[in-house]
Amino acid sequence: MGALSIRNITKTFGETQILKGINIDIDAGQFLILVGPSGCGKSTLMNIIAGLEGPSSGEVHIGDRLVNHVAPKDRDIAMVFQSYALYPTMNVRQNIAFGLETRKVPKAEQDETIARVAKMLQIDHLLKRKPGELSGGQRQRVAMGRALARNPKLFLFDEPLSNLDAKLRVEMRAEIKQLHQRLKTTVVYVTHDQIEAMTLGDRIAVMKDGVIQQFGSPQEIYDSPANQFVAGFIGSPSMNFIPVHVAEREGEIGVVLQGDGDARFWPLPDKLQLRERLGQALTLGLRPEQFDLVSAADGLSCKVCITEPTGPDTMLFSQINGKDIIARVHPRHAPQAGESCHLQPDLRKAVLFDPATEARVA
Amino acid sequence: MIEQNRFWRIVVYGSLLIAAVYYLLPLYVMFTTSLKGMEEIRNGNLLSLPLDISLAAWQKAWSSACTGVDCSGLQPYFWNSVLMVVPAVAISTALGAINGYVLSKWQFRGSEIVFGMILFGVFIPFQVLLLPMAQTLGLFGMASSIPGLVFVHVVCGLASTTLFFRNYYVGIPDELIKAARLDGAGFWRIFLRIILPMSTPILTVTVIWQFTQIWNDFLFGVVFSGLDSRPITVGLNNLANTTTSVKEYNVDMAAALIAALPTIIVYVLAGKYFVRGLTAGAVKG
Repeated sequence: MGALSIRNITKTFGETQILKGINIDIDAGQFLILVGPSGCGKSTLMNIIAGLEGPSSGEVHIGDRLVNHVAPKDRDIAMVFQSYALYPTMNVRQNIAFGLETRKVPKAEQDETIARVAKMLQIDHLLKRKPGELSGGQRQRVAMGRALARNPKLFLFDEPLSNLDAKLRVEMRAEIKQLHQRLKTTVVYVTHDQIEAMTLGDRIAVMKDGVIQQFGSPQEIYDSPANQFVAGFIGSPSMNFIPVHVAEREGEIGVVLQGDGDARFWPLPDKLQLRERLGQALTLGLRPEQFDLVSAADGLSCKVCITEPTGPDTMLFSQINGKDIIARVHPRHAPQAGESCHLQPDLRKAVLFDPATEARVA
Repeated sequence: MIEQNRFWRIVVYGSLLIAAVYYLLPLYVMFTTSLKGMEEIRNGNLLSLPLDISLAAWQKAWSSACTGVDCSGLQPYFWNSVLMVVPAVAISTALGAINGYVLSKWQFRGSEIVFGMILFGVFIPFQVLLLPMAQTLGLFGMASSIPGLVFVHVVCGLASTTLFFRNYYVGIPDELIKAARLDGAGFWRIFLRIILPMSTPILTVTVIWQFTQIWNDFLFGVVFSGLDSRPITVGLNNLANTTTSVKEYNVDMAAALIAALPTIIVYVLAGKYFVRGLTAGAVKG
């Protein structure tokens, strides 16, 4: 039995359709990420799961129960908000206790729950403070504590890390993952950050314009994006998109690439079966790490415009077929800006898109 | 450069000082005159300090000055005003808070239009309401009574109090309400436990505003009150217009100060919240 099942959900505000038929099924204990640029409908979908908004059509099942007409408080869910939404006039203990009081949990059990949650999140020493006296990271913990106190069937996180600084974000990300591994509760997590999506998710739903572009495991989505949008959205730096024509040389199907020197033919793997597309213009998708620095004989001569050393890798900004590209190379061999180098594209994992529809063709 | 700065500084502070003196002078004259005897008032200078201070005029204004045929001072009017102002301020503030809460956090289809119509109420001159209000009060059997005055002030104050609270609550993040709903709280529990405790600044503003408006009101007080429900503004007017033999300026001044005292006290006690609350609402709303 699935933990969460969303069937044909649509949502319309006046003339605009925010969600256009969303279908998602996840199993108990899975970590689902809803990711997409702002305005893609992910927060609306989250609100519909929580019951804070109703769908225009479609069904939401939590566990084996249809919850379309169940009030948010009775859905057995807990939510962590982007702004944390801590009650400013109550101290930390009262914040955590509020939901328990409302549910008429006996006092002794309340104290027990608060103690358990406070210990788990290491906020014991903060219980008497008001939210205004806490740092961003502490507020984040309290917000999670409030959700954990409920012991819900489903956790909802609405961009919980967006308001933290970069270092804290990485720390809290790891803690959320640890917490999930320990508690094994089903999680739905909304974010616009593709790194959070990749690192946290068991399943990722990439959304755009109210449609799920692709639903799958992080590795599936990274290695085998369903279309050019997903390919460009997931991964940092983004996948390179190079305009090419499908060509044939000595019986092999491939593409012609040109940097700042002579154009060169590179064969594509046979499994792509591109023979019937001979002569067509396509977009070749290559991730930055699919380039290698090689000696002149094996490589494509490219002029480096900028280098961006990140420490473990150095990013080279260059051009192929007139299009800006980024290559991720080892810093030891990295050329300087203005120099020429030789890049060898690894086409075994290459993907190809239709330039007009942006659909994946191979 | 610095010399020039100092020159302008003196000009600015000088004009501010003159303005302050200009506005404070009447208060000074009222206060000193109320402490003087009639003899001194007739012979002395308007601006001179009282030679021998006497509270007799205050005593008379409070308990024995004539307001028409009745000579028991402002005392009964004062208590009428208190009986009118306390419930009127409490009810109009409470209703305004609930209205503002609904219009900002529980929006329904057409709630913006409702808010627009309420806003319109702020701009309606009260004179327009006199006749229909008199009819309404008659219909409810509340004419010429303190409950009737309370009713009028609540109705007329609602537009402003709703506006104040709505604009303040718009600045409170919606996520708080969502969180509370997920915590299982309903409409009233969210209002009483979460929203109201956050409302101290705007509550202070509204209470001061309503208190001042209602305490100082003369129009409704003179039109809708009966013989035994006249508020202090009407009492003051009657006292000042009742001439026996001589015009007792010291009693008039003491009476005017008695009438103004409660609003001054409220302002002094809660004034700092007033400005703070007004700007907070304005910036966030």
